[in-house]
Amino acid sequence: MANGALIFLMAFLFLFLGYLGVPVAFALIAGVLVVTSFTPVGLPSIMTQMFNGIDVEALLAVPFFLLVGELMTAANVTARMITLSQALIGHVRGGLAQVVTVFSMFFAGISGSSAADVAVLSRSLGPDMKREGYNPAFIAALIASASTMANLIPPSIMAVVYGATGNVSIGGLFLGGVVPGLVVGIGLMIYSHFFGPIGVMRRRSSFGEVGEAMKGAAVPLVIPVIIMGGILSGFFTPTEAGVVAVAYILFVAIPLLNRGYLRRLPHDMAMTGLLYSIPLITIAAASAFGWMLAYLRGPAVVSGWITSAAGNDPFMVMLLLVGLFIIVGDFIDAIPAIIIFMPIIVDLTQATSINPVHMGVVIIVTLAFGLITPPYGIALLMASKFIGVRFGQAMFASFPIYIVFFAAILFTIFFPEIVLWLPKHLLPESVGCFRNPSGPGYICP
Amino acid sequence: MVLCGVAITGFTVTVICDIVTRMLGRPWLWLQEVTMTFFIYGVFIGTAAATRRNDHLYLAALAEAMTGRRRLAFEVFNRLVVLAVAGCMIWYGYLNFLDGFRSLRMPSMTPLASLYAAIPLCGILVALFTIEQLVNGWKHGFAEPG
Repeated sequence: MANGALIFLMAFLFLFLGYLGVPVAFALIAGVLVVTSFTPVGLPSIMTQMFNGIDVEALLAVPFFLLVGELMTAANVTARMITLSQALIGHVRGGLAQVVTVFSMFFAGISGSSAADVAVLSRSLGPDMKREGYNPAFIAALIASASTMANLIPPSIMAVVYGATGNVSIGGLFLGGVVPGLVVGIGLMIYSHFFGPIGVMRRRSSFGEVGEAMKGAAVPLVIPVIIMGGILSGFFTPTEAGVVAVAYILFVAIPLLNRGYLRRLPHDMAMTGLLYSIPLITIAAASAFGWMLAYLRGPAVVSGWITSAAGNDPFMVMLLLVGLFIIVGDFIDAIPAIIIFMPIIVDLTQATSINPVHMGVVIIVTLAFGLITPPYGIALLMASKFIGVRFGQAMFASFPIYIVFFAAILFTIFFPEIVLWLPKHLLPESVGCFRNPSGPGYICP
Repeated sequence: MVLCGVAITGFTVTVICDIVTRMLGRPWLWLQEVTMTFFIYGVFIGTAAATRRNDHLYLAALAEAMTGRRRLAFEVFNRLVVLAVAGCMIWYGYLNFLDGFRSLRMPSMTPLASLYAAIPLCGILVALFTIEQLVNGWKHGFAEPG
């Protein structure tokens, strides 16, 4: 069978079985195993590829960032951050809608996954918003959109996976995600202000009240400082920063803020142990899928199409890749998408001399957008389930918010100097700068 | 579930020990091997546990929108696919495990097979849990994905 037909068969089997209800990881493996039997490749080597996909030290950061989010949520420490968000922005037009966005920005600095963000927001602010008369479809759309910032503002699990599989600096991706994250956040606030419901505006908090709320939220807000401080100072790898943050929560935050929670700790550790295996087995399966795709020369063909259409223009290449990933992100989860398509991304990044961190940030922003687009907008699916509204209604309510994401994606593509400003100044090596051999500072390409 | 907790606790402790011993200027190199062992086994055992609890990532279950015999047929088919993949993980994972005796992990010189064993082990557990689901589902109906 020709390579093209095998690639088509593998993709068809994955999507067909996946949409039939087979778990994503098993649907991926099934597709790969069937196609491998038509090639000279031995089936045991697919098992090796699965293993190699997760035998990567950097991926250890995934369970730690999940654990940080899980512990903070379970220990109910997030209530203090909601109080701070309300004190800062609760008086603005939009009321709780603005609080959702600001809280998401804070929480994104602690948790690396949208799922945790959606769960926390839906449970804590969802009922209050319903009571204040917000349309449930709008609530689900806003919570899902705001939760995507968890993948942009560091720490981000998507950035860890992208960095680990694409051999790109994870610290650089973390810092590069800050500006697009803020663009999405500010965009959502502008949208809520001008186009969202007026909501119930609280009275403006006094400086004393804001100070009190800041004091209350200070303990959890140290976590982003630990994570980014450790990475930027070169003292910790992202994995180690994750574990230090876990240790800080266990030995400082929880004893100070919610001592009673310690009894439930063993259960939550076991639960997180289960939760981290779900994305990682998908990474293992997607690695085997991506490897087979590369064996069948799929990436070379697709990157050939893209370069023949876009030439060597980096902006055109990124726009075409964004188009591809918007379609891909509509149908499959972000993590397998990153791994399956990594060979194509690497090919195009090298061919057009795009900075790998810039390309990574563009792809991550696009895939974060995929979390709210149908049919597989996992954040929107979760939010509509938690809020108790039909997915279709939440989807219609989210359509106008797409403009915010399109703006963020275009901004990320066309203003690399702004997106890369933070990594260039705080972690110069991550974007290809090197120490000036004849003087102080760095020389950047 | 308990084993998942043991795995995550295990590699959390070993990474902390790794940082501490490095700060003290006496790094224990073997800690990284222990960390990866906990991590890899945690992933594969967690996969089996997630299969039992229907906690995996799903695209969209067409079966969820159905009722009666058609629903039963879809649910049985989905689990047979998982069972077939589990069977492949057992057999080809076992062959891969045997192959793993030819490579060694550094610095302990333990055969890589000690890690490869996690794949057939996962296959066995997934197969058992899937058979359990098939039997229970046939008798009492299938649970929705978590």
